[in-house]
Amino acid sequence: MAVQDIPSEDSWKNVGRSIPRREDAWLLTGKGCYVDDVPEPPNTLHLGFVLSPEAHARIVSIDTAEALALPGVVDVLTGDDIAELAQPIHTSFLLEGHRDTFRDAIAREKARFVGEAVAVVVAENPYVAEDGVERVFVSYETLPPAIDLESAARDDAPLVHEELGTNIVLESTFATDGLDEAFAGATQVIKETFRTGRIAGVPMEPRGCLATIDRAGEELTMWTATQIPNLVKTAVANLLDHPESSIRVITPDVGGGFGTKAHFYPEELVCPALALKYGRPVKWIQDRREEILTNIHAREHIYTVEAGIDADGVIVAMRCNMMANAGAYSSYPFGATLEAVGGVRFVLGPYHIRNYGFETRAVASHTCPAGAYRGTAQPTAMLAIEGMMDRIGRAIGVDPAEVRRRNLIKPDQLPYTTVVGMHYRTGSYSESLERALEMIDYSRLRSDQTADRLVDGKYRGIGICCYTENSGMGVAAVRARGWSAIPGFDGALVRVASDGKVKAFISHAACGQGYYTSFAQIVADQLGVHFEDVSIVVGDTGLTPEGSNTFASRGTVTGGGAAVRACLVVADKMKRIAADVMEVSADDIRIEDGVAMVQGVPDMSMTVREIAEVAYSKTPHAMPEGQDYGLEATDHYDAGMPTISNAVHVAAVAVDPDDGTVEVERYVVVHDCGRVINPMIVDGQVHGGAVQALGEVLMEELVYDEAGQLQNATLLEYLLPTAMDAPMMDVEHIQSITDENPGGFKGLGEGGVIGGVPALTNAIADALSGIGANVNVNPLRPSRIADIIDAALGTNSA
Amino acid sequence: MSFSKVEVRLTVNGTEYVRSVEPRYLLADFLRHELGLTGTHIGCEQGVCGACTVLLDGRTARSCLHFAVQVSGSEVTTIEGVSADESLKPIQDAFHHNHALQCGYCTPGFVMTTVEFLKDNPAPDEAAIRRGLTNNVCRCTGYVNIIKAVAEAADNMPGGEG
Repeated sequence: MAVQDIPSEDSWKNVGRSIPRREDAWLLTGKGCYVDDVPEPPNTLHLGFVLSPEAHARIVSIDTAEALALPGVVDVLTGDDIAELAQPIHTSFLLEGHRDTFRDAIAREKARFVGEAVAVVVAENPYVAEDGVERVFVSYETLPPAIDLESAARDDAPLVHEELGTNIVLESTFATDGLDEAFAGATQVIKETFRTGRIAGVPMEPRGCLATIDRAGEELTMWTATQIPNLVKTAVANLLDHPESSIRVITPDVGGGFGTKAHFYPEELVCPALALKYGRPVKWIQDRREEILTNIHAREHIYTVEAGIDADGVIVAMRCNMMANAGAYSSYPFGATLEAVGGVRFVLGPYHIRNYGFETRAVASHTCPAGAYRGTAQPTAMLAIEGMMDRIGRAIGVDPAEVRRRNLIKPDQLPYTTVVGMHYRTGSYSESLERALEMIDYSRLRSDQTADRLVDGKYRGIGICCYTENSGMGVAAVRARGWSAIPGFDGALVRVASDGKVKAFISHAACGQGYYTSFAQIVADQLGVHFEDVSIVVGDTGLTPEGSNTFASRGTVTGGGAAVRACLVVADKMKRIAADVMEVSADDIRIEDGVAMVQGVPDMSMTVREIAEVAYSKTPHAMPEGQDYGLEATDHYDAGMPTISNAVHVAAVAVDPDDGTVEVERYVVVHDCGRVINPMIVDGQVHGGAVQALGEVLMEELVYDEAGQLQNATLLEYLLPTAMDAPMMDVEHIQSITDENPGGFKGLGEGGVIGGVPALTNAIADALSGIGANVNVNPLRPSRIADIIDAALGTNSA
Repeated sequence: MSFSKVEVRLTVNGTEYVRSVEPRYLLADFLRHELGLTGTHIGCEQGVCGACTVLLDGRTARSCLHFAVQVSGSEVTTIEGVSADESLKPIQDAFHHNHALQCGYCTPGFVMTTVEFLKDNPAPDEAAIRRGLTNNVCRCTGYVNIIKAVAEAADNMPGGEG
């Protein structure tokens, strides 16, 4: 009997059920343990960082005397001091066209964005650390900055990294054979430029870090608010030249990540460096201003898309030219590749486009580094392709839903490989579109529309987004993206204890996804034990196997896949033990609800506990011949290339011409992430993502002035959606199960925002199309919508 | 900079505590670090996000906007106090069953706001619930399930319609 590699379909019993989450028990009652809640060891030192008020400046001198004189201030260190302890952060890339940048944990010589740390104060408590920060006097020689994307890309722009001789930190081009000929065959070419504003994830918990060193001065333990504990461990080991085997990174409860915490940050290097230096615990808790100034930004993109179409509106050739503002430093571990490469790869979406070319650039600027925020470049890439679908419809006088029907990859074309090498194994592109249109009663909404879109004093529009979501990246996927600092696999250790209770250790980090519940559902089903008998450990590199952790919707595919595979090995061993004890064939044993039963012999059974007692030599019965003692298995699972989810969002909005505000009147989602583990959790992810999309489209934008000052680095000025803004949504699921991973799962963490941004933008664009406005920009705050309306109507309210 | 410490006397979740702290010490820090009641979270320190919401003499207050010394002599209820109060259990039950929390960081603040809101509005409609929750920011849930949870809690509270 060989170990199964794919679970049987009827093994899924807990998977598919909306089991209320386990983690609620502690999170709802105030027992959550976020990094600032970890009990503070005695003698803990607290850090305060001195942030540059200059976007681009030479650091002339740093006067630390007054800070050092404060009672309670232990030390003040500059970039040069830290450079003696830690190497600069950088990621080398396997990708042609990428120029690596180096970032000192504390800036030396030059500051390159407002908020970059130029010194660190070490104090006996956080209040005194802040007092000390105010007493470090830094003298700067202001230099001209490069701030916005297009200015920073100009040949004469001030350079962010002089040694590179350019601000273009990544450039990449691609074209299929015969692209020009394909364009020549088009009946018309439609061209549009889409601009999207800089935003950020803004999780409710800012970041923080506590580093301790053991009595021998060797074992380093870090609690840090991160999505990538294993990658942090490796980075710290490399940059501090400390044995990786002596570093343990623990992510306790993490208060939201959304990709911003999927980066390694300078403070995560300074805290352990200083814990080693002083031999004392070192703690730093970020405040909100630091969070907005210095945590990864995203989405400052420009896409120029040309679509050559035939008479039916089918795209016969497409070009995409993209630029992304990368900020001052390439981020670790993604470098400057994340958005600029992602955007031009993802822009094909669920559409059948065989002639395609792109040019893409990531541009360094004197702004906060850019990187991952939920969806990375997918919301803007889908905005570009979905914006083109609507424009094709307007150009040829065909309903935008029909244009999509004609361009979607058809069921009989699956499995499908895009021209940029993405594999679409299964999906429900047409089916989910049709169902979403039905749910929102699309044909009636369309027939109710007037030519000017004005109904009851408001412009009313409908927006559609059909999208694909890149999920579950394995080794081949991270290599294809050039990421050398990410292994790509994930690990699971599944252990049945001698009492039959199960613990699974999985190399992911929980920041709200419900891993303690959904992973337990998977493990319970694949071992055949009760859900209640399974507990999950994530976010602790000292306990879980190695892995690549939590970003890019990887959790269910890579962590779930590893868990399934480890469970199948353990289940096989349990069957062999049970078979040996009951003297039957292992092939006839089936384990369900914690009991191993013999097929065809109803009165013969033994419990998982009894099996485990054999495995741990608690009974006189020896292990079967050839079987080792113990009942556990570790699996390192490589999911290979990305697994592609898909969905359709349709929004109906009303735009108030008087004040430019937008109300979402209906919102429907048909979502396909393969096998659904916990529908309630999936719906929650969709809701949350869609409302983040609403923020991205209607409210949020990080605004730098020409000098590089961030104008809205507080939650008073960087507006997030509230309960007043959130639309109620109808969410339905289609489950196109895939055989790409053992569970048939597809990732889903980012889909809500990927679908929401284009659906909402297109709905507003549709609402304003009646007055001839061309909406090709985000965000669409009321003032901008008012300007668009004024421009279209030829009025001027100013 | 060194401040002489002042005595702060607070009744928190029914227990009286006396501590000496600097006058500038925030109520949030007092609860979290002096008393170890870490269920109250700090999200912005500017009174915007509501993660640090507690009940101060029965009304919601931002614990990040008060110095502990300012409220000396007051009664404070935190999420830990709510969790020990059986009569308020329907609120947390409704959050649990409706999946009204994800990362959980904002959740204690939402629960505290809901405690006061349902006291003032025992039978709220959806519009009232939305208005009642606008003082708290959640970045994970999109609010959909929080709104449902508060409606369900209203029905299930002692004296509610359920």
